[in-house]
Amino acid sequence: MGRGALYPSIRFPRNAALLPMGRGCSFRPGLSRLRGLKWAYSSWALGYRSSTRPVTRMSSGPGRVFLLLGSPCRSDTHSGGAEKTNTEPAAAIATADRGREAMGAAVAGWAVAAVVLQVAGLSLFLYGFFPVKPTLPGFSGAESYRAPSCGPVDGGEGPALPPDQLRSLYRELSEVPHVYDRLVLMVIDGLPAEFVLGKGGKPPTKEMMESMPYTQSLLAGCRAVGYHAKAVPPTVTMPRLKAMVSGAIGGFLDVALNFNTQAFLDDNLLDQLHTIGYKLVMLGDETWIKLFPTLFYRQDGVSSFYVKDTVEVDFNVSRHLESELAAKDWDALILHYLGLDHVGHIGGRQSNLMTPKLKEMDDVIRRIHTAATSIQDNSHRTLLVVVSDHGMTEVGNHGGSSYEETDSLALFIGHSVESTYCSPYDQKEALQVDLAPTLALLFGIPIPKNNIGVLLPELFNSLTDDQKLRTLQLNSWQIFRLLQEQRPAFCSEDCVDSKDDFRVDMIPESIEEKLCRLLSKAFASHRSSLHQDSDFRSAEAAGFFGTAVDSYSGFLRHASEWLSHRATDKPLYLLASAISLMVISCFSLAGIISCIFKGKSHIKAEHHSVLDLDKHWHLDEVFILMGILLYVASLGSSSFVEEEQYIWHFLTSTLFLIFLIKTVQSMLKESSSTVVHRSETKTFHKNNSSYLASYKLSPGQQDGCRLYTVLVVLVAGRILRAWYQGGINWVHFPDISKILTQSDSSIVKSLQSISVLVVVVLYSISLMLLRTRRVFLIGLWLSHLSCGLLVMLHIWKSQVDSSVPVNHSTTSIAQIFYGIASISVTCTVLLAPWTFPTHSEEAEATSSSSSNPEKANGFDHSVFLTGVTYTMFWCLLQLLLQQPINAVPVLLILLQIISSVIYFSLEKPLHRQWVQVVAMQFLGMTGHFGLGNTNSLASIDVAGAFIGISSYSTVLSGVLMFIITYGSPLLLYLGMVVHMSVRDSTDISTGQHFSWSSVLSRMIALPCLLPLLINSIALTSYTIVLLLMRNHLFVWSVFSPKYLYVCAATICTYAGVLVIAVTGAYTCTVFSFRTRKRNHRDRSVDQVGDGLRS
Amino acid sequence: MGAEVAQIGAFTAVAAHALCLAGLAAAHSLAGRGALVSDPAHALRLLVVCEAPLVIVVFSLLRRDHKRCSFLKAAARGLLGLPIGAFLNAFGAIVLGAPVGTKYWMATTYWSSLMSLFTFVPAACVFGASKVDWQNVLSHSIYCTSSNVVDYMISAPSHGAVIGAWLGAWPMPLDWERPWQEWPICVTYGAIAGHVIGILVSLILVVAHKIRVRVKAD
Repeated sequence: MGRGALYPSIRFPRNAALLPMGRGCSFRPGLSRLRGLKWAYSSWALGYRSSTRPVTRMSSGPGRVFLLLGSPCRSDTHSGGAEKTNTEPAAAIATADRGREAMGAAVAGWAVAAVVLQVAGLSLFLYGFFPVKPTLPGFSGAESYRAPSCGPVDGGEGPALPPDQLRSLYRELSEVPHVYDRLVLMVIDGLPAEFVLGKGGKPPTKEMMESMPYTQSLLAGCRAVGYHAKAVPPTVTMPRLKAMVSGAIGGFLDVALNFNTQAFLDDNLLDQLHTIGYKLVMLGDETWIKLFPTLFYRQDGVSSFYVKDTVEVDFNVSRHLESELAAKDWDALILHYLGLDHVGHIGGRQSNLMTPKLKEMDDVIRRIHTAATSIQDNSHRTLLVVVSDHGMTEVGNHGGSSYEETDSLALFIGHSVESTYCSPYDQKEALQVDLAPTLALLFGIPIPKNNIGVLLPELFNSLTDDQKLRTLQLNSWQIFRLLQEQRPAFCSEDCVDSKDDFRVDMIPESIEEKLCRLLSKAFASHRSSLHQDSDFRSAEAAGFFGTAVDSYSGFLRHASEWLSHRATDKPLYLLASAISLMVISCFSLAGIISCIFKGKSHIKAEHHSVLDLDKHWHLDEVFILMGILLYVASLGSSSFVEEEQYIWHFLTSTLFLIFLIKTVQSMLKESSSTVVHRSETKTFHKNNSSYLASYKLSPGQQDGCRLYTVLVVLVAGRILRAWYQGGINWVHFPDISKILTQSDSSIVKSLQSISVLVVVVLYSISLMLLRTRRVFLIGLWLSHLSCGLLVMLHIWKSQVDSSVPVNHSTTSIAQIFYGIASISVTCTVLLAPWTFPTHSEEAEATSSSSSNPEKANGFDHSVFLTGVTYTMFWCLLQLLLQQPINAVPVLLILLQIISSVIYFSLEKPLHRQWVQVVAMQFLGMTGHFGLGNTNSLASIDVAGAFIGISSYSTVLSGVLMFIITYGSPLLLYLGMVVHMSVRDSTDISTGQHFSWSSVLSRMIALPCLLPLLINSIALTSYTIVLLLMRNHLFVWSVFSPKYLYVCAATICTYAGVLVIAVTGAYTCTVFSFRTRKRNHRDRSVDQVGDGLRS
Repeated sequence: MGAEVAQIGAFTAVAAHALCLAGLAAAHSLAGRGALVSDPAHALRLLVVCEAPLVIVVFSLLRRDHKRCSFLKAAARGLLGLPIGAFLNAFGAIVLGAPVGTKYWMATTYWSSLMSLFTFVPAACVFGASKVDWQNVLSHSIYCTSSNVVDYMISAPSHGAVIGAWLGAWPMPLDWERPWQEWPICVTYGAIAGHVIGILVSLILVVAHKIRVRVKAD
């Protein structure tokens, strides 16, 4: 389905693993190739043991971690005081209430403030790190030969002319004769310019000189000109090719958010050549074919997959050379040789294979040049351009921004560069993007719209002075248009048509004004030089010409620099302030939580809580802190980021194994000491607000239940893990999902149906647990049943006609499902608090002292109903949207939720509430990867995002895509609502006085704040990691996609927390309203009770 | 409970641990260098075969309750504990992600037997079915509260082995393409390293305990 290699294949070895690979294919090329570098970064892993030390130190002082953090504790002292007084009966109750309310409000306020800070920091960082530069849409046309006008730049799309007419139109408008007719663009992947041109004004080493005799003879004979063309990181093939043909430097988001196609859609040289009727032939790296799938007249792509092969890849290109050079039917020939890059990856710059490879390349250059010079008529003037896309480091890697990697070659061989005197080994610097305007002007086509390159003047030696000025003018106009787009300020009249010129003495205030002045000076002197009489070529004219050239070049150089800095520069102060905002938000969340803990410990100290949890740190708590630390540390290693699913599964399983050990421990304790039994049975009766407990389990059964639920979670987790084995590197490992995909589709369908059935049955059971048969519940059950039937129908329908991708009946089924489900869920949320009694009947019958905890009963019922409805409808939605193969994982995650909720709801909880919440969140993250998600954008299920959408809508399918991708974490947040309602509520009802606001704050504070905190820790630390890794080889292929996932996870956390908070708050409000109304009624009716109390 | 149990000396503890370590070393020298990487099942089998009798004998001699429980009974408990502990360890490993398959099950069996020898068998030999002792071994409070030398000798090495194996699993998903990243090689290395460290820690604890007792007695 949508899980192909969607990720734009920046052609370097990592992504090779995304390509389909034969089973049992034993060598993974990308891996060995980059080992040197990976070792360095994965050495994080080796530092792990040392990272455990701070944790153990933390554990020595409970709460010290949090105490260290600056925190908004003001509200806490208030409430702490209130708690002390609330044992006094009447008068203090009001203050206690107010205190609690104040605390709840303060916590909510601080949390919202922290979230706002976080959002602000995140958006600042995104803005700074992934600059979205305004680009000009469309292709340059005839308008590029006219002076840029102020005001809105209208495209002025003329009627589409046939290629021949367009060609002559361009040549007429440009007023510059085209210099060449045929282009041979020879790309040698990874060739550092140093090999050909030397470094720092010195010729290359003797060995290098000898390996490329022909090229060196051309250079020495002044028949070729070479530049050190600086490439912009990431120095990997695809972005560099794009830069060469378009002259623009793309941002990351352009690449990342381009899910559906890898084709290059911006204005570029090849498309321009194609429009004027050039026939293009491409031989070599298939990246070109991915970029321009329909452009080539003839093509033969080779894959860069087999990195160890250095011979065949190049032979497959060269074998066509003879016939192509003999053929006359092409106008542009692109050759892309990969072998040299492969040599570098195997052995580095000093590899033994390097010299023969360079000799081979030299031979190709010789053959092409000989063939080109043999045709000496005026209509086949050929330009041979030898370029490399990037350089390589000493060990042969590339991707970063060191001089060795960015030092790429641009070598021009043709008649216009021939001169009588030259110094070939001078360090001639250029930019890689300069290739685009140079070639465009040489071939008489418009310069690509978003080009930021500057033409290389030495290529235009054969032109007259006026023509040279004209080329500079055309380049300046194009760049000026781009400047106008980025800074509208450039469109002021005095800039374009300045009358007062030559104010050189004035110091320009800003870069804009400087550019403006240079440009106006250039235009003015250009005009002056044109107005000179042609036969009166005086020194004055030469002076004007010189000034014009200087001003034009100055303008172009500065403008190009400014534009490229805007595209690549990362404003560090902005990023630093963004990170500090996130850090502050993270710390304030931690501070809030520490305040809540302190408040709780006060209460416990007051009431001598019977909970079995003392103040010591427990194994599970220490482990959670350590696990989070390990996770944060693992984010710094690209290998761990690629295989994050292992970490989550490992941490979650270990956590639940620790739960298992604690369960076994408590079983041993229980059976060894029988004294506890009696007290337990006493407390047993009291808190029957938990549903499982209301089924009167004996302690032994409880322990058994605990054991089984933990085992279910563990086993389900292991099956989930086996469902999808690989992340990015181990994608080819066999797993259950692959076996099922290859097997009969009816098996998958029946598994899907079984999952739907189980979900429906589970919902019925949980409704039965409520033990009320109201019409409302029956209606809810029926609607869920019908939804289940709809999903089932959808499954079987899509099986029958799987050949037709868009089916109207399935679309309408899905739409009906969306309708019913949303109506039922909304009704449940709104009506559930009204359906359950505020007081249960037994509560009124029994003594008044026990009525306080009973009050929570109706409330718990209502939250339980809402939570279960959320969860089960969400599951059905997932079963509808997810890939068929994912039905069982969804069910397994549901089972895990149910088991862990039962486990946590049993009496005498073995774990603190925060441990329970964190465990649920861990389950959610593990499930996220269990559903086949990875940290590569390729695993996003695009196909599911169109289920039930009749017309294309980016927003709707984006929402569906989000629902599919983050199905599991959101499911866990919804399950948290159930967990809230069933967990042992002793600490809620310990207060003598019962207040709704305190219920609310105790109940939803931790489930809301802890996920926010954990997510904030992950987000903040990963942001710092990304900033540190901004020059890393994998920053664009591994770290940046992961950052998008982290951002999406943040949104997911906000959504989940919002649901929890809104549900809790609404239910609480309704219940407190109803209680108050009831109390009013009671008071008016029952005067006796009032008299007694006073 | 400590009073009625005969306390063993620090020298005995050192000797017992030295014997166990000697078993490991003997297996290692028998298997040869790099055998664990080249043929993990074979090397693990050697380790188990060399270690099992030593551990059972040593810890049966150290059994609690010398009166009610004969040496043979303790050894039988150890023998019975070996497969049970192996099962528990294998369950833990598989739940944590150890590969399941025909290719791996021999290695998994031997590995879990070895882990059982590090963790379960000593406790089975010494404690038998005493629930209190088992509960003590499972919890970390044993390091603070215990007054018995044997408790230290059992708990620290077994905890060390488990933690070492857990940490040893971390490099497995990395793409370093090293042969030792395969299951169960690096986990075994981790377990043995953790076990040895645990033994050292337990010896330190034993010595510290002895000194404390002597100071108290003075």
